[in-house]
Amino acid sequence: MMTLRAIALIATGLVFGLGGIAAAHHSGAAYDREHLRTTEGTVKTVNWTNPHITFVIECDAKGGAPVQTMVFEVSSPGVLTRSGWTKRSLQPGDHAVFHYAPLRDGNPGGFLLKVDLPNGQVLSFTLQPSDQ
Amino acid sequence: MNTFTTFCTVAALITVSVISRASAAPADFDGVWIPDVKDQHRQETANVPPWKPEIVPQVAHMAAEEKAGRPFLVLSHCLPHGMPSWMLISHNAFEWLTTPGRVTLLGEVDGNRMRRIYTDGRSHPDDPDLTLHGDSIGHWDGDVLVVDTTAIMPQAYIAISEAIGIPNDGDMHIVERFHLAQPNVLHDDLEITAPKVLTASWKTTRIFRRYPDRHYEITEGECEQEDLVPGKDQYGNDIFFSHPQNPDGSVSTK
Repeated sequence: MMTLRAIALIATGLVFGLGGIAAAHHSGAAYDREHLRTTEGTVKTVNWTNPHITFVIECDAKGGAPVQTMVFEVSSPGVLTRSGWTKRSLQPGDHAVFHYAPLRDGNPGGFLLKVDLPNGQVLSFTLQPSDQ
Repeated sequence: MNTFTTFCTVAALITVSVISRASAAPADFDGVWIPDVKDQHRQETANVPPWKPEIVPQVAHMAAEEKAGRPFLVLSHCLPHGMPSWMLISHNAFEWLTTPGRVTLLGEVDGNRMRRIYTDGRSHPDDPDLTLHGDSIGHWDGDVLVVDTTAIMPQAYIAISEAIGIPNDGDMHIVERFHLAQPNVLHDDLEITAPKVLTASWKTTRIFRRYPDRHYEITEGECEQEDLVPGKDQYGNDIFFSHPQNPDGSVSTK
């Protein structure tokens, strides 16, 4: 049985054609920032790693749609730490609203931009601290 | 005897004086510096390198691939950025440490993001081993740290973005002038000479900002950690395990 991490890495690997280079630090060109989306779901896996962090999310089943596993990529531990995150900001089992730029190729996933937690806390990040 | 003692004392004082002059740091650059990524993006089109004619189609292809959502991976396999790409395109912070005779730049993502810039008056080695960051020597010109870097691997990219970079192909020489444009704004004026891929030296500037009130630190990280998973050994110790690789390069934890 394929694990969620395997699903995650295969999905990410599909973006770049080769799973073996999925861990590369790369341009954000694979993501469509002109058509941002939102989904609700539960965190299944946290990969707090360089060069990019990934979260595997199981989206809520709504309107008869099947449960879908999505992979969200986000910036690096250094950038998120300076933006106020810790490794524990999002943990497996956490339910939240995820705002993301979807993958251009239609695969389930995208680049995570913001997370709304049930307690009202908003998790986001910036490369440019002057913007904060 | 007295003459000999006097000679030794004078010689020692001269030596100390030379070393002090060579390593003195008249400007305070210490701290964590964060790249101005917005300016990096502006520079992608505002000041492009003078690529040789045979290189231009390669750059155009990379730009087209990025526009199509298939970015070329300038940074892959957990290799460091190398020089000059670290200074040109990194989105991550570095820490500047000034110590006698040396400046050290510590980067993020893993321990290989490090530059040692010697300010003790030494010259470049005669027969250096090539590295991704090269051999750097520096001297202070007033409040400007001038850094001369050679011995860079030919595979090190001259990158203008994370999706567009050309290997320097050898014999690259970089001169940088680090100076404070404002108390917490560092400019790195680079002059990159790469005769295999550029028609002339390329001059460009990158901006880094310091936020002393926010007490930023660079974070520890290992790029290879992506391929590991936490677990326990037979004694119950916390260790990392390697993921077995599937034929397609993906990782399975079963």
